[in-house]
Amino acid sequence: MTEQSNHRPHLSSDDPRIMLDGEIGQFENVPPYPPRTEREAEFYTLADGEMFLNMGPQHPSTHGVLRVVLKINGEQVVDLDPVLGYLHRGVEKLCENSDYHHIISQVDPLEYVSSLFMEWAPVMAFEKLLDVQVPRRAEYIRVLTGELLRVSSHALYQGWMALDLGGLAPILYSFIERDEIVEMLAAITGQRMLFNYFRIGGVNGDLNHEFMSRLGDWMSRALKMHETNIALLNENEIFVRRMRGIGKVDKDTALRMAVTGPNLRAAGVPFDVRRAHPYSVYPELEFDIPVRGANGGGDSLDRYLLRLDEVRESIRIIDQCLHNMPDGPVMARLPRLLRPRPGRAWAAVEAPRGLYGTYAISDGTDQPFRMKIHDPSFVNMQLVGMLMKGNLIADTMAVMASIDPVMGGIDK
Amino acid sequence: MDRSLRTRLDARFGAQLTGPIRQRHDETEIRLGAGDLIEVMTVLHDDPDWEFVVLADLAGVDTGEQMQVVYHLWSARTPDWLRVVADGLPREDPRIPSLTGLWPGAEWMERETYDMFGIIFEGNRDLRRIYMPPDYTSFPLRKDFYLPDDAARSPGGGVRHVERSHVPVQATERVVRRTVKA
Repeated sequence: MTEQSNHRPHLSSDDPRIMLDGEIGQFENVPPYPPRTEREAEFYTLADGEMFLNMGPQHPSTHGVLRVVLKINGEQVVDLDPVLGYLHRGVEKLCENSDYHHIISQVDPLEYVSSLFMEWAPVMAFEKLLDVQVPRRAEYIRVLTGELLRVSSHALYQGWMALDLGGLAPILYSFIERDEIVEMLAAITGQRMLFNYFRIGGVNGDLNHEFMSRLGDWMSRALKMHETNIALLNENEIFVRRMRGIGKVDKDTALRMAVTGPNLRAAGVPFDVRRAHPYSVYPELEFDIPVRGANGGGDSLDRYLLRLDEVRESIRIIDQCLHNMPDGPVMARLPRLLRPRPGRAWAAVEAPRGLYGTYAISDGTDQPFRMKIHDPSFVNMQLVGMLMKGNLIADTMAVMASIDPVMGGIDK
Repeated sequence: MDRSLRTRLDARFGAQLTGPIRQRHDETEIRLGAGDLIEVMTVLHDDPDWEFVVLADLAGVDTGEQMQVVYHLWSARTPDWLRVVADGLPREDPRIPSLTGLWPGAEWMERETYDMFGIIFEGNRDLRRIYMPPDYTSFPLRKDFYLPDDAARSPGGGVRHVERSHVPVQATERVVRRTVKA
């Protein structure tokens, strides 16, 4: 207190001059500590004509709470430094301190637009630790609900993408589609967003009449709705011209940047965990892995179009699930208190944003000793730093939206 | 389980491994010391016989007695995930070479592991905290860091006494209550 008043004795706290000659608002003080690494020192050194621009943490298009420090020269982005951690909740630590059943609800809010996938990988890892055989009906229900959620997530992506480029209408149509799907899932899971539906050894509750009637209704026009949404955007010249050629990444770079999911496939690498390392009942289902980037790499438009292709494949999978759905139980018989033998397990699934994995270590108690969550958005986010150099400030959002990060997953 | 992968790994890297090759479900696990990491990973990534091009995950582990860094790799040449465990890092000063030369995308994963465990990745040119604030001094995922409301190991195990005021563990007192042979 005394220190503060000594520092600027003549100014009261509401004096307007405090904003002029005080430390607040002066960019020389960013960051207010000596640089900790080589890269940070390099980034925070300004050349002639350059300045810093803070974007976020509450920027409406950062898909969550993300702060990006842009180093700009005029309208051009020279370099950028994403600052994470605004949504960090320490989910891994929480998981290491809660029992195996409880974890399912802990991981749910990670990637809140596709939370069934967030449950899928931990549940699969724990099943490996416990050597549980999941009933086939449960596996089919997992695939069915998962693919529904993938459609909803990609529909939302389409809307967000347009919103970030200044188109207001498509998000409304996306939400119509998403709303139908979450209402459908709410009929079996009881929740609209954080489903808490998968269980170790199966799923919580069988398919019911409301779900099936809503699903049948939706399936009869899903493809048509998809075509309508596409027609709304794909031939919009402004939209296409702002995406084509922006943020191009080639095959080798994408692999070396450890990118997975649609962003990797848009760059031309046919890596999809559902086919590359099959799990659940995916080997029994027929579907293709769409790949783009034929002309030497994927740009923002490729990443956008690839997700639209994936929606069609997902609808194909849902259709097959409904036709092949076997009868039987939806839960394996398991004790209520799970104590897996000491061991280690890794399981990965293909979430809408890429490879989502869990590495679990059991020490024989009812809580995992270590649980690592690998979120695809976290790794994909690094691409933004790489792709933005040399582009305009307005394109930052186009590139970031095309990579489709969800901050809940990035910050864990 | 891919038995032939085990044979091939044993033949190629046998001298560098510090433990037996373990296989369970669809995973194959090798262990090595931090000194051999770059050499082995370069062969696994670059050699056309292996082609482990996808770095699926990078995880730090504090077993309570030592630190580990665990890598999960994928290759089209085997149906298994390959888990590379670099173990035997001392808890007091864990250091390991960085993989950013092979996968630049490992940079943030290493930053995260540094932030959570304090493992120094030598060669990573941006090794600073990524989640926690810059003036933070602890490493939250270490096993001597307890959650403020961690009652799970207390006599009232399983019940969280959120109403009761909690006396945090003193920084000088470094007690590891759980360890694992991993």
